[in-house]
Amino acid sequence: MENITKKFKHLEKWQGTLASCIRCGYCYEHCPMFKHTGWESDAPRAKIITAFGLLSGQVEASESAADKLFSCFYCKRCEAACSSGVPLTQIFTDAKKDLVEMGLKGPGTTSITTLNCARCLICVGACPHEARFYDGNAIATDPAKCQACGICLEVCPARAAKIENNFGTGRDELIEKASAFLNTHKASKAIIFACNWSYYPGLMASVLPESETKEKNYEILVNMCGGRLDPQLLMAPFLHNAWGIMAAVCPDGECQHEGNLKAKKIIKTLCNTLKSIDINPERVRLVQIPAGDKTLFQAEIDTFVDRLNKLGPIR
Amino acid sequence: MKKIDEPRLRDIVGERNIKTDPSDLYIYGSDSSVHHAMPWAVVKPETILQVQRIMKYANEELIPVIARGGGSGMCGQTVPVQGGIILDMKGMNKILEINLEDVYCRVEPGVIDDDLNLALKQYGVFYPPTPASSRIATIGGEIANNASGVRSVKYGATRDAVLGMKVVLPDGELVSLGAHTRVEASGYQLHKLMVGSEGTLGVVVEAILSFVPIPEFRCMGVANFDSLNDAGHAIGSIMASGAIPSMLELVDSVAIKAVNKTMDLGLKEVAAALIFEADGMVKEAVDYEINKMKKICEKHNGQDIHASYDPKEREKIFMGRKKLFPALSKYDDNLASTALADDMAVPYSKMAEMAGKIHEIARENNIVMTAYGHCGSGCMHTKILMDTKRKDQWDSAKKAITQVYEYVRSVNGTTSAEHGIGLSKAESFKIEKADSLGLLTSIKKALDPNNILNPGKLMQAPENWITATNLRYSVNS
Repeated sequence: MENITKKFKHLEKWQGTLASCIRCGYCYEHCPMFKHTGWESDAPRAKIITAFGLLSGQVEASESAADKLFSCFYCKRCEAACSSGVPLTQIFTDAKKDLVEMGLKGPGTTSITTLNCARCLICVGACPHEARFYDGNAIATDPAKCQACGICLEVCPARAAKIENNFGTGRDELIEKASAFLNTHKASKAIIFACNWSYYPGLMASVLPESETKEKNYEILVNMCGGRLDPQLLMAPFLHNAWGIMAAVCPDGECQHEGNLKAKKIIKTLCNTLKSIDINPERVRLVQIPAGDKTLFQAEIDTFVDRLNKLGPIR
Repeated sequence: MKKIDEPRLRDIVGERNIKTDPSDLYIYGSDSSVHHAMPWAVVKPETILQVQRIMKYANEELIPVIARGGGSGMCGQTVPVQGGIILDMKGMNKILEINLEDVYCRVEPGVIDDDLNLALKQYGVFYPPTPASSRIATIGGEIANNASGVRSVKYGATRDAVLGMKVVLPDGELVSLGAHTRVEASGYQLHKLMVGSEGTLGVVVEAILSFVPIPEFRCMGVANFDSLNDAGHAIGSIMASGAIPSMLELVDSVAIKAVNKTMDLGLKEVAAALIFEADGMVKEAVDYEINKMKKICEKHNGQDIHASYDPKEREKIFMGRKKLFPALSKYDDNLASTALADDMAVPYSKMAEMAGKIHEIARENNIVMTAYGHCGSGCMHTKILMDTKRKDQWDSAKKAITQVYEYVRSVNGTTSAEHGIGLSKAESFKIEKADSLGLLTSIKKALDPNNILNPGKLMQAPENWITATNLRYSVNS
């Protein structure tokens, strides 16, 4: 067993901490990956169990084991909620460092670069985690540093930056979810895009009877970070007769990826575009919600829906 | 290990609802207990028919099947000690009906307790058994363990709230047990037998649950005590006085210290504290209950006694209790909190003695143990805090647990109040139920003749779990 531990020289120091995770599973409700797949093996607890398994030699350092540790958006909600005080993402990062040295690199949620990259270096400058770099030949990502915030995807003019496994938070998946909601709910009016911090919904892994949901007039979709909002995503609901869209991001200074600043710019541009085509820009709203403030979030949604009711549908 | 017919399972549940990679199986090999064992496959059925087909296959091939909910069990109920197929019931997660007229709801087993309560809240009602793990615990898991929680002192445990259910038997047959009515005297109450059977008799695929109105008024109080003994006597006196608390919780000094360390709630670090609550539709009635409990606490040397209707204040007190279990891991950086001997029940009059006994046994064995719990329902929780790498600490823990259970049985207490038996508590369970073990085995045999449902648990679990099961920790020899 000692030989195995030595192979994991970054992970090794967490041996005691891994035992102090009591495996209560209370982290599930905070994890967008678990909520998307419903598999326990995608939850934060599973990554801790895997890290323990790797370190103790009970789990082989295989691609599938590694992929679990490379799949994380670093929203760190599990970490903030863990009352055993386990620094989950630090453990994931250290496990990733060891795995990279063994030649296992995910991809998991790590951003990659496709062949149509023009090497303009915009993503290198924009990455808040200094994970992207020019290796003399192409733009590469340091998988141990990448936190899958998705900022590179949104700044890339060639759309060459990609996250392969989005766990339901990718642009196309969100557009699909938004249109599905708008097309199946007669009373639907708004799509609310929220980062994983603004929206604090509990686990909500159960399905309600149709009678409870058919009158719903808005749907909340988690896009992980405000930095991942883009015009195409924000405009998509309007194509399916939405009356308006709202985006919820972290308050100034509280976003780990500074995605909220980027969201501000995008929303401002979008409002100007709407104005130019005679659509009232009040149909788009950006709100800042401190982590866990459910009351404020709900109040903002109610105010927004009230406003849309006054404006009526777009004609 | 038996060869699993993967294509057949894939055909039953679909490509996306099966996992067979060892890295996934490893994760599904543990829960919140100290045990670990590898399953052979994990499948996530979405319909009753799929469960029936899986059971039929497993029964033909004599493959163990272990139904699993949130994986928050503390005694190893879902740890597949003999391998087999894990049925991840979280795929059956629909709230099927909320019937306000007939006062019941119908749910699939994978529905999360908190989700159900969120759906019920808008109608002013709630599903009361609610354990502390309600944010992750599924209704199916709660039924399997007869879960209960802080409000069970007034509203009862899961068994009291279950009116009926649909169950898939080991041969794949589907049966409807119980009724949609509040009372039933139509023969054997088999649905009640299923509650607490830990997945050894059948797989619950639908449940009919009763709910109750959310009270208009809730008032929560706290009293500090300089001795555990005084706090224990206060509990006994409150329950004997005819008072109807909706919550009566004890936390000892170890637990208080752990909560303070994690959440900065500023709790006074005393020998013990009692948290009590009364609820009702009329404020005067709630005042009456609260004052009665306050006076009893005073009589037993309680200090800093205060109570509040303020939801924020109540939330603060309640959160401390609700997060206690995970918080215990922070008590000392070198010690981890382990779920062992964690939920016995004793008669009210023995509460004080029991709390004292736990600390005495801990001292004797040189380990740290806490005493806390839903004392209003006679349930006392302990957690053993230890350095899990040290084999000698496991030996001491084992010794301490045996002593705790000896005491519990000597005062007519019971091995488990709400977490079930699983693996960790089999030793004491078998001694406690010695004269009915044969009967329990006959029931198991009648329903599951091939012993494929969660084998190796309850009556079949090994006495010495330290050596007979694989621990999920790295223990130095």
